[in-house]
Amino acid sequence: MLFSSITFLYYFLPVMLIAYFIVPKRMKNAVLLAGSLVFYAWGEVNYVLLMVISILIGYISGRWMEHFRGRVRAKWGLILSVGIHLGLLGIFKYTDFFISNINRLTGSSFPLLKLVLPLGISFYTFQIISYEVDVFRGMAAQKNIVKLAVYISMFPQLIAGPIVRYEAIAHQLDERICTLDGMARGLRLFILGLGKKVILANTLGELCEIFKTSSDKSVVFFWMYGIALILQIYFDFSGYSDMAVGLGHMFGFALPKNFNYPFIAKSVTEFWRRWHMSLGRWFRDYVYIPMGGNRGTKAKWLFNVGIVWLLTGLWHGAGWNFIVWGLFFGSLLVAEKLWFLKKLERSSWLGHVYLTGVVIIGFMIFDADSVAQAIKNIGGLFGFGHIAFISNESQYYLRSYGGMMAAALVGATPLPKRIAAKVERRWPIVEPIFLTGLLLAVTACLVDGSFNPFLYFRF
Amino acid sequence: MTEKTKNKVIVLMISFMILLFSIMHWLEPDKEFSVSERRKLAQFPELSGERVISGKFMGEFESYVVDQFPFRDGFRGMKALMSQKIFGQKDQHGIYKSGDHICKMEYPLNPESLDRVSDRFLYIYNKYMEGTDVKLYFSIIPDKNYFLAEPGGYLRMDYEELFAEMQKNTGYMTYISIADLLEADDFYKTDIHWRQEKIVDTAKRIGAEMGITLDEQYEVCEMEQSFYGNLSGQYALPTEGENLYYLMNETLKNCDVFDYENQRRIQVYDMEKAEGRDPYEMFLSGSLALVTITNPWASSDKELVLFRDSFGSSIAPLFVGAYKKITLIDIRYIHPDLLEQYMTFKDQDVLFLYSTLSLNHGEIFK
Repeated sequence: MLFSSITFLYYFLPVMLIAYFIVPKRMKNAVLLAGSLVFYAWGEVNYVLLMVISILIGYISGRWMEHFRGRVRAKWGLILSVGIHLGLLGIFKYTDFFISNINRLTGSSFPLLKLVLPLGISFYTFQIISYEVDVFRGMAAQKNIVKLAVYISMFPQLIAGPIVRYEAIAHQLDERICTLDGMARGLRLFILGLGKKVILANTLGELCEIFKTSSDKSVVFFWMYGIALILQIYFDFSGYSDMAVGLGHMFGFALPKNFNYPFIAKSVTEFWRRWHMSLGRWFRDYVYIPMGGNRGTKAKWLFNVGIVWLLTGLWHGAGWNFIVWGLFFGSLLVAEKLWFLKKLERSSWLGHVYLTGVVIIGFMIFDADSVAQAIKNIGGLFGFGHIAFISNESQYYLRSYGGMMAAALVGATPLPKRIAAKVERRWPIVEPIFLTGLLLAVTACLVDGSFNPFLYFRF
Repeated sequence: MTEKTKNKVIVLMISFMILLFSIMHWLEPDKEFSVSERRKLAQFPELSGERVISGKFMGEFESYVVDQFPFRDGFRGMKALMSQKIFGQKDQHGIYKSGDHICKMEYPLNPESLDRVSDRFLYIYNKYMEGTDVKLYFSIIPDKNYFLAEPGGYLRMDYEELFAEMQKNTGYMTYISIADLLEADDFYKTDIHWRQEKIVDTAKRIGAEMGITLDEQYEVCEMEQSFYGNLSGQYALPTEGENLYYLMNETLKNCDVFDYENQRRIQVYDMEKAEGRDPYEMFLSGSLALVTITNPWASSDKELVLFRDSFGSSIAPLFVGAYKKITLIDIRYIHPDLLEQYMTFKDQDVLFLYSTLSLNHGEIFK
């Protein structure tokens, strides 16, 4: 089930909220767990069992490691359980990629398994691993399986994050307070996220689809695609994250923020501190630092960075374009740190131009069906492939989608927030009216049956 | 207003709205058909363990709640208004407004479609007409976008390429050009089709090229209720109705019209359909696979076979005066192989008359 669907908004959410608030406190986690399983089953009924098994493994390994804390058995428990989780992720996500590469290399023709990727498996697997590693490192294991299951499967963050560290919400699983202010804060974030996703990201996604099917591409059209693409991905994912955090507030959880205006960054280094922050923190805490981080020789550091970005690419998808995408950003981070990060930070506009350019190129790699397609699209930005500078089609779509792109560009900066704060101080009633209007507008878009895929489902 | 009060207002307003629409949906009876969208609406899906496990139930439920959502048409209008007025989008799902006309942006040209249509025409020619005395004609009706796109700055397919390609592929037929006789106002403002009362000159041009003279006089009859065409609902914003006219004379009143698909006699103008969901279907009762019009007052034994799409329904009555029998064939609904069960091609005039909309979507041809 998608948050941005009529089913969720007008059926699942009200039923869930009513059920959650009418049951006594001790039942709230059970209601949340039951609702989360229904939510998951709605989109992936066959894989509920897989998630339940993953939760059980997490629970048993946590208890095991606590029981044998400080002994070698705890270490084996961790290795085994993390191995199983990564194995499941590998089987469902990477088997076909592996087979197709073997076939290509050896000329063999092993059949592809064509397994459907379980929803949110990359997200919940990382949450379970973080729990297991933290317990191994000394944190107390959760003794109540319902509470652990709520942590892993809680529907607001189940299928698209943010990736929450167990210790960040451990106490909220035991004790949380739902207030009217928290509900208002949650509704505010949820509706704004919904607006980002349904109104901005979906419309920009339409433009990207039009570009892909066009036979009249031009340099201007490639740039429109590049800009629309990065804005679509940003509003799609940050919108979904805002909805998740907002829903968390409604149910009394404080989930971490996942995006912080990444496009105002002046360098790739800063961009990745602002983009999908919970994933960045996960790789830092569970891969980069355990590997030694930036301690040791330069070669060791380069190796560590390379591994982290290779894995970041692979986490996003089983394809060479994702690996190239990860290594592209990893290389830029290294280059910045070694040579020109300070220059970018001191610059007034150079950093922004540089960042916009590399992010467009990066996400063109990300969005391509293959590396060859990515190269072709990037070449199109610079007029390679004997294409016109501008075509009738690109002129038309520039006029038709220009307003939306301009709104999205402004919306990706803190400016609307600043304006809203000023308006709010003067006319506080504007906010409730705006939010109600926005919910109506989103409903209108959903009823109109507009383009509504969620990009991060594939992860 | 304090922060606390504002938060209360937010929670109350949003909760009220969500609950209102939820409850309304459950209380309102489900609708079967959307008049504005001209389509059946999804109904509550069949619930079974097998369908839940396969995910079919969930997928169909999503369609059901969207289709049956309260004030669906109002919300669609709101979406269109927002896209146009706030974000400046020029079209809604390819539908745009130019002056008083609602128009579908037909773009881009689909060469594979033209190849497929040409193949189907050639198949019919080879199977039934090659070596016979039939006289073959072909004419293409440009759609409204041909006239309205360029002045309004909208996208238009390469119509010239379409005309040229189709003429090249149908060299065994005599091509009759009619585009120069038509203009946007010869079409309904809210529908894709042409207006019968405006195409008499077009019928005469085609007739002249086929060697017949059309000199019938008609009484212009007007339908009482306003006509809202199929683009009206798709556009989602309010549109003005217009008058629907049809041409009548004694010959047409006395014609014998037979619908082979449903094995029944029908009228040239179906007054029941004129008051129905799609009033353009009043012309020869809409989309039918095989229809014959027999003129008992005809002064010759000439026959016309008209391979046509829905545009043919309104022009066919204008040929009646010059032919003893007109057979209308719509190969979107009948496979050409079945035609031999109903007719023999020998010395008829055969006219292939198709709109650019059909030619650019050749997948609809059998």
